[in-house]
Amino acid sequence: MRSRFLSHAVVVTLIATLGLTGCKNFHWPWQKKTPAPAAQQPPPLGEGAGIPSGERPIITGELTHGQFPPVYFDFDSVKIRPSEVAKLEAVAAALKGNSNKLVIEGYCDERGTAEYNRALGERRAEAAREKLVALGVAASRITTISYGRDRPADLGHDETAWAKNRRCEFSIVKE
Amino acid sequence: MHAVRNSVLVIALVLCSAAYAQSQVVVGVHAQKRPFAVTGFTGDPTVAGQLTEVLKNDVWLSGCLALAQSSEAEFVQQGNVRSDTGGLTIECSVTQTATKKTILSRSYPGSAQDLRRVVHVISDDIVKAITGQRGIAQTKIAFVWSRGKVKELAVMDYDGYNARQLTYDKSISVHPRWSPNGRKIIYTSFLQTFPDILEADIYTHQRRRVASFPGLNSGAEFSPDGLSIALTLSKDGNPELYTMNANGGGLQRLTHTPGAESSPTWSPDGQSIAYVSDDRGSPQIYLISKDGGEPTRLTVSPAYNTEPNWSHPPPDSEIKPMLALTSRVGGRFQIGIYDTATREVVPKVADDADNEDPSWAPDGRHLVFAKTRQWRSRLYMLDVLTGEQVELPAIEGGASEPAWGP
Repeated sequence: MRSRFLSHAVVVTLIATLGLTGCKNFHWPWQKKTPAPAAQQPPPLGEGAGIPSGERPIITGELTHGQFPPVYFDFDSVKIRPSEVAKLEAVAAALKGNSNKLVIEGYCDERGTAEYNRALGERRAEAAREKLVALGVAASRITTISYGRDRPADLGHDETAWAKNRRCEFSIVKE
Repeated sequence: MHAVRNSVLVIALVLCSAAYAQSQVVVGVHAQKRPFAVTGFTGDPTVAGQLTEVLKNDVWLSGCLALAQSSEAEFVQQGNVRSDTGGLTIECSVTQTATKKTILSRSYPGSAQDLRRVVHVISDDIVKAITGQRGIAQTKIAFVWSRGKVKELAVMDYDGYNARQLTYDKSISVHPRWSPNGRKIIYTSFLQTFPDILEADIYTHQRRRVASFPGLNSGAEFSPDGLSIALTLSKDGNPELYTMNANGGGLQRLTHTPGAESSPTWSPDGQSIAYVSDDRGSPQIYLISKDGGEPTRLTVSPAYNTEPNWSHPPPDSEIKPMLALTSRVGGRFQIGIYDTATREVVPKVADDADNEDPSWAPDGRHLVFAKTRQWRSRLYMLDVLTGEQVELPAIEGGASEPAWGP
């Protein structure tokens, strides 16, 4: 922050010396440009006209992972592997005898394009939801979120990292 | 084709795309550049120097002109700048060498603060006078600006300068798309945890929630008349394609498959929509009427085609509409153009980097895309007629998912 300010100061001084005070918008081609720094409050979010927002739990703050181990997927696949079924059975068991809601987040590795991965992550969350419904959880208690290739669990760029990133995470939202 | 691609890969980047461009796709279009001399501006040397620098860059990026010496130029620019009480007056004229005719002579009011904007106006006037077509120098590009886990939207001039933030959410904001009047941007936002479609006014920053159904709300794009939006919703079980009124309501489901439909892009006449579906295995591009019905499969190879983006050149342009897309070949993303005649995807940007997110300029000749090397993404401009790539000025952090404004 400080060094950027200083380099700006130098540039501004230089321009001023050349008799060009106030010419802030000009940048030499070799100068790096940075968007204006983040500031202020975001403007309020107006409601869309006539659009139902649907049945979704109200979530404030970050969802907490870690209560259940993630369910992992094969490359470009939305199939629940046999090895992952026990994890889903544990999630179903935790939802028995209470009215808590469940959020399933679907994620992909970085080897797909951005928007396609948002659809793929959604289908992974839906595959986990289908399995949970088959295990007796009411579909109305489950909400899905797809992050696509954003928010990887492992920041690496090899098969070990990718395998950890093709996943679903589960969060209980208490009623 | 593979042999060609492999041998080309070892050659320099620009040569590689140029080799493709000359042989492929855009048949019968005059891609030759007209030699143009920028002699600069007389008057205050510092201001004049800046004006000349920006004008040279604009002429270079225009695609239709090539910078040349006055002695070899078909057109020669001359100019003058002087200070008035209210600011600056910039005069610019262009003469056709062969006929000695002045094809442009105008005076532009400006100030030291908006020299770039004034030069962009001049540049577009020059392009209009020479080609009869609207230039791209006054257009803007929206993009996703990422720093760590946060993705904000930003808008910049077409040449990569004057970038400014549009969102300040410290959340994930992605997939921006412009309204046809250039005033609004719709995008996918995780501001309220779930992926919703929001709309932001780029001048007032006022925002509105457009779609927030259960599950995925993403991939929205305005129809050419601005009255409708095509988007992906998963509220009925899995990701399907829908249209809705841009003002809300009028939801209509277009697709019915067990697979995922995504990335809708409108045809120039607004009657049909190209999109991605993985219903038959790997993702491929399909075409459907805006009213639904039976889809037609467009692409068959390579095995992975996504991110279709349909160009909307002006009706009087000799450039025809084109469908750009992102393919995955050999584990790398490359930008291609779908050739309707041969049903083949013709690679346009295929190198050792990942090239994604193509978005057309309103001239239907240039597109902007994201090139990722060493996991850092930067924006590039491509002239599809010449194959020339230009890296836009770097921005701190990553820049991706660009959308070229109208």
